[in-house]
Amino acid sequence: MTPENLLHLLQTTQKCTFGCPTIDRSVGGGIACSSLTEIVAESGCGKTQLCLQLSLCAQLPLSNGGLNASSLYIHTEFPFPFRRLQQLSQAFSSSYPQFSNPSDHIFVEPVHSAHQLFDIMPKIESSLENRNSHLPIRLIVIDSIAALFRSDFDNTPSDLKRRSSLFFKISGKLKLLAKKYSLAVVLTNQVVDLMGSSDGLNALRIGNLKFLCSSERRVCPALGLAWANCVNSRLFLSRNEEVVGEGEGMVNGSELVQRRKTRRWLHVVFAPHLPKSSCEYVINREGVVGVES
Amino acid sequence: MEVGRLPISATLRGKLISSGYTTLSSLASVSPSNLARELEISNNEAFEVLKLASHGRGLDRSEGSGAIVNGAETAWDMLHKEQFIPRITTSCADLDNLLGGGINVSEVTEIGGVPGIEIKRHNLFVRGNRIQLAVNVQIPGAFGGVGGKAVYIDTEGSFMVERALQIAEACIEDMSDYSVLLKKNAIPHQIQIEPKNILENIFYFRVCSYTEQIALINYLDKFITEHKDVKVVIVDSVTFHFRQNFDDLALRTRLLSEMALKLMKLAKKFSLAVRINHLVVVLFNQVTTKFAEGSFQLTLALGDSWSHSCTNRIILYWNGDERYAYLEKSPSLQSASAPYSVTCRGIRNSTSSNKRTKMM
Repeated sequence: MTPENLLHLLQTTQKCTFGCPTIDRSVGGGIACSSLTEIVAESGCGKTQLCLQLSLCAQLPLSNGGLNASSLYIHTEFPFPFRRLQQLSQAFSSSYPQFSNPSDHIFVEPVHSAHQLFDIMPKIESSLENRNSHLPIRLIVIDSIAALFRSDFDNTPSDLKRRSSLFFKISGKLKLLAKKYSLAVVLTNQVVDLMGSSDGLNALRIGNLKFLCSSERRVCPALGLAWANCVNSRLFLSRNEEVVGEGEGMVNGSELVQRRKTRRWLHVVFAPHLPKSSCEYVINREGVVGVES
Repeated sequence: MEVGRLPISATLRGKLISSGYTTLSSLASVSPSNLARELEISNNEAFEVLKLASHGRGLDRSEGSGAIVNGAETAWDMLHKEQFIPRITTSCADLDNLLGGGINVSEVTEIGGVPGIEIKRHNLFVRGNRIQLAVNVQIPGAFGGVGGKAVYIDTEGSFMVERALQIAEACIEDMSDYSVLLKKNAIPHQIQIEPKNILENIFYFRVCSYTEQIALINYLDKFITEHKDVKVVIVDSVTFHFRQNFDDLALRTRLLSEMALKLMKLAKKFSLAVRINHLVVVLFNQVTTKFAEGSFQLTLALGDSWSHSCTNRIILYWNGDERYAYLEKSPSLQSASAPYSVTCRGIRNSTSSNKRTKMM
């Protein structure tokens, strides 16, 4: 065994861009290669949007912050949003005309259970090894990891033990692949509401934020503490309804009209290379775009 | 053997005895400059005294009057040795106080915490600092550093070179500030080290399975024999691979305790082999929940039997908005906790007081 040269590593730590400079800035240039990044959010925050956009951006050349590579999109929640991907890829090819058909470089694989995910790992590895294709795979997205683990297992001690040993197996394997082929791996996770008193284990704080709050509720990432040990970085997406533009109704003399607007934020919960940071974003037809604050 | 028997002048002998140096072994770990300052004699004289003393000790040993078993030491000798064992600063004064001056060398220290508590940064930080010490050796009395290289064993893949570089740069800045303070007029040639050099002095191993991890620990003995200047071994984290694929818990316990023993042996062996060479082992652990007395409690992973394996144990946790370190286990220090903060420059003192004023 010989140690690796860090100076050499420094030049090869790559990031995969989100396709938006504002979001990239708050996460240090994008998703880091050779490590596991988890995106945590409740439904409707834009996890899938962000992942689709990321898998499109992976094929950008290195000079544009991409990986010059294809991506593998493993989806566990059905159906796969083909229509939205089509929409995004149209927007993508209009800003990057050199890619006439960007969806060609996204491979989609459905997975129905955690065991199946573990079983297809060799298949994934063989497709990663296939480097003579035009664009090798450098990005793996699993959307979502929570759906796999939240359905198959009971809430009994033996099942939970089986579940967490499977976590560690899968994340160990993914980390091995990420290291070997310098992949960027993105996993999405769901949240659970935090019930009951806010002391004891409920008050256990993981990461930069004192507590995670989305839609005015306190939430915490699904799959628990054991899983939190399996990922290298964790990003949290939140959304909150806010009242904006209150005065407008007064002009017409009618009753006060409250315009409500959803504001979405991306926070860095923990990451080995990032400080605490957050950024606001909006989702529009062209994809996920950061808002300059 | 008594100091009185040394072939030195009566005044010197008097000074030695009045300062408390009555036996030769008490002179064993004093540096010439310290002795000179203490006795108010010239450096040359102090050097001469120490030379004679070490010669005298050699005679002592050949007479066989010292130890009964070869290699055994008296507790008095060990105490003296310990006083001069350098410690590795964490760059956070509060943490240093908690640990009695820094992370102990020639011992195994375990640090654990929830994800995102910056065990990694801490880690990096120790390493960055470690190299900081390497340079500080040239600056007399700066941090009392020992200087050396680091072995970093990464099992989780959370090591980010860009972060290491950041910390290395901050360290170099700190050092140049320090040297300016120390020598009233800045000497430019003092700090010639570049972040590049710091990174070159970190031996980084990425292990992807527990078999690799065990193999690497076995190989470390040879590696450190070849690279005598390795002073710190960091395993981040010891836990990860041992939490998968182990249905046979007895096997896991055996493997873990074997590994821990090897690490302890390493720490001891390379601290003794060369007097000034001390080896530090820092392990990082994950936390898990433990069901005890009807409620769930937070504890470090790998179970109770593992907790015997480390000399020191530090747990990192959040308290409100501040990060705290709690010394859970230590042979010589009492349990206590201290706040710290993680900045872009590495680990520093907690800045809670500043924050509070800002919030108002």
